[in-house]
Amino acid sequence: MNLNDPATQVEEGLDSEISSIRREIRKLQRRRRFLSSSILSSTSLQKRFSRPNQAPELSLSNLNEDISPIVRAAGSHAQSNHHRIAFSTTTFPFKDPSPILNNETDGSKNLLGARIDICVRNGRFTKPYYLLLQKLRADGYNHGNVRVKVHRHTIPAFIPVDRLEHVFLPGTLSRVGAGDGGGTEEAQPPIKGKQGRTQKQDLRGFIREVRRQLVAWHMRLDAVHYLHDQIGVIRRGVDAYPDEEEDGPWERDIPIDTDHDSGVGEIRLKRNEFGIIMLSPTALEASYIRVEFEDGQVGRFKISNSGLVERAVVIGDKGRDKVLEAALTGGDKKVLSVLSRLKGALVGMDSNPSSLASE
Amino acid sequence: MPRQKSIRAPTTASLPNNLRIPSTTPSLVKALGKLSRQSLLDLVFQWLDDRNVKFFPPFLESDEADTESPDDEGLRPYPAERTLNDVRNAYQELQFRKGGKREVIDRILDGDWRHGITLRQLAMVDIRYLDDHPSSFRWTALELTRIGVSHDTSHTDISACMPRVHASTFLTTLQHQISPLVKAHFYLSRSSTLPLTFLRIFVTHSPYQNPRQAPETLTDSARVMYVAFPDSCPYIYTSLAPTTAATGAKPSAASAVATDARGLQRIVRDAVPKALSLPHQRYTLKTTSLTAKSLQALLTLRGSGRSNKAAGTFSIFAGAVIEGSPLDPRPSNTVSPEEHHKQSKPHSNNDLDSEKENKSSNAEKETDSSTTPQNPKLRRRDNFGLDPRAAKKRKMAVNTRFGTSGTSLSSAPLDRLDARLLDSPNPPPLSDADEDTSAGDGSRPTLSLTFSGTDVIAGIRKLAELGIVNAERMPAWMTGEEAVSVTVVKKGRVVRDSG
Repeated sequence: MNLNDPATQVEEGLDSEISSIRREIRKLQRRRRFLSSSILSSTSLQKRFSRPNQAPELSLSNLNEDISPIVRAAGSHAQSNHHRIAFSTTTFPFKDPSPILNNETDGSKNLLGARIDICVRNGRFTKPYYLLLQKLRADGYNHGNVRVKVHRHTIPAFIPVDRLEHVFLPGTLSRVGAGDGGGTEEAQPPIKGKQGRTQKQDLRGFIREVRRQLVAWHMRLDAVHYLHDQIGVIRRGVDAYPDEEEDGPWERDIPIDTDHDSGVGEIRLKRNEFGIIMLSPTALEASYIRVEFEDGQVGRFKISNSGLVERAVVIGDKGRDKVLEAALTGGDKKVLSVLSRLKGALVGMDSNPSSLASE
Repeated sequence: MPRQKSIRAPTTASLPNNLRIPSTTPSLVKALGKLSRQSLLDLVFQWLDDRNVKFFPPFLESDEADTESPDDEGLRPYPAERTLNDVRNAYQELQFRKGGKREVIDRILDGDWRHGITLRQLAMVDIRYLDDHPSSFRWTALELTRIGVSHDTSHTDISACMPRVHASTFLTTLQHQISPLVKAHFYLSRSSTLPLTFLRIFVTHSPYQNPRQAPETLTDSARVMYVAFPDSCPYIYTSLAPTTAATGAKPSAASAVATDARGLQRIVRDAVPKALSLPHQRYTLKTTSLTAKSLQALLTLRGSGRSNKAAGTFSIFAGAVIEGSPLDPRPSNTVSPEEHHKQSKPHSNNDLDSEKENKSSNAEKETDSSTTPQNPKLRRRDNFGLDPRAAKKRKMAVNTRFGTSGTSLSSAPLDRLDARLLDSPNPPPLSDADEDTSAGDGSRPTLSLTFSGTDVIAGIRKLAELGIVNAERMPAWMTGEEAVSVTVVKKGRVVRDSG
């Protein structure tokens, strides 16, 4: 096929035009749907429809009949959204479609779903995390309390749901022994108050702890993103590279979510006053951050769940650099202020004449 | 020729990276020939990179003077280049020219690395092959668990859960563990496409380095095993030797003497958890009944993401396709799952691949049952598919049962699913909810089902869509909900300990 043939060129031009128009149409359709559902769920409209008698111009019966299910759906959706935004953890019912009944549970296929919504730094919400809980069969020994166990969940693997379940929802992991062992335990008088406490399930505490760890993880990722923004980031293929920095290692962008490809593209730090050429979490859970400096020193620090730098090590050819380590862990210890502390340390070093020899 | 001048005393150190395999070894051609021409050239450029070239020095003219007599100069098809840049240019030229990969291999072996390919180069070749062909091995997922942690864990160390691998420390400890038994070469490398770190271990049968070892043994692929460490999760994946894949569960009786390749691999596998252990924090490996060819499937079902404990029906939660962010004003039933999925994922994978997979796996289903010709649940209902309303209902049922698994949205292709049914096949498993009907017939035949294909779950889903499998009544393990590849099923439910 001759690419220079004018007819082919015209054809290709038309093809690309058609596809771009189609894309535009799809975009506009999506936009229309978005806007229409926004209008439907808006407060003023909802109010009007909730009092049909006071809106006589819309109370034409057939119109109202047609429109009301949509409006009602939009209203309930908006309400559940408000709950999700406000309370972060919400519950919902779910029915397991599996036809096989489970002996350990109470025989119903109804599950209790808990949904955890977390707002991250860019103002968006992550994909919700879910816990699906199954009610255990009501035996005599649990005094009529409802007991649950985790049936399925979508919590990332580095948050030990199993162990949390064991601590907060006891009596679920030792399911095999529970059938016969439960009666004997009941016969014994409770020796310590502790035993009685561990026997009791704490569903709120369980979900609170799971959520706390999820939030802590997202906060750690946000902190690294924040540090990147402070230093300045060049995205491969997106930003123009300034000429003066030819070589610096490209690294994969930090994920915003558990999907390993959710970190888009490769990034590189801009040349900066801190002398940092790389700053990235060592693993997905982002509790350890690795820092590489221009002069070959390598550092690593640990972020605690409360956002403090717990420990730090900076090591170079000449051994550990205690000044930088102290800077990382010093002050208010907050990870967000690490850079300003580093800056202070570097200024201190420059003014110190003995360190000038190294430059 | 490849012998270095230094004296080799018996030692327990690992095989050095720069141990050269003579380039005349015929199996080297095969080893390099696995790669495509482009991959080979990429690797060569990597070797010749400024940072790496000291590890893999090519043969230059200056080397020629002291090693070889000038007589056979004319016999060499590739004269030694003068400088490093000349070598680079030669491969640049190959890069621009079209041609077979054979000329690249010849150039490597007879030309620039005629003094031998180092073990590290060979390891890089293998890892590159693994990256190019991610389903070239069968991988088994193993779970790392703490030993000696009693069940009443205190509240304090709940967050400490997975071992951290520090490459050099880990390799040193691993070497300490296995050095009395075998000699090995380690190569640790980060996968370029998946969130994994590969460890390639090559083992020889003696703890001593025998200088007279046949060079063939150094390229024997049966002596290579891979361990993959996925990011941030308490699992590791190991490659199975091609021979053990067939026999499956009983390699333990094979040998107590570590002479064959499999025994060597077992030694290494046993050493891995010990090397990961720390004082007061010892680990052991536990099987997780999941073996698959696709690393992506392992990452989905035993990885760090959301989908570990939510497969099958519950995959709608893992992909978060049932509802969007709370800021989305559109009611969730009006938004397609694909759109929900895309929300936080800018690059959606193309649907073409999975469609192809679906088609190919459609017919690949074999049942090796000895007692009954067909599982009652799999009974054919051809006339069912004619009614459009029934088809729609069936589609709904399939969607509820399978969620997104087996579609393009989830990527966990299992190439094999073994299920052993302990229930009597005679009364259909659904009706014996009152547990004592099966006790009546004295014999307890068991039924083993093996599904194999490119994507078993997608295949079963397709069968359900066609109405061959009843989507509403089939047991949950058929939807992949248990996320295992080997199961034992009793009363329609998966029995946990498959031993």
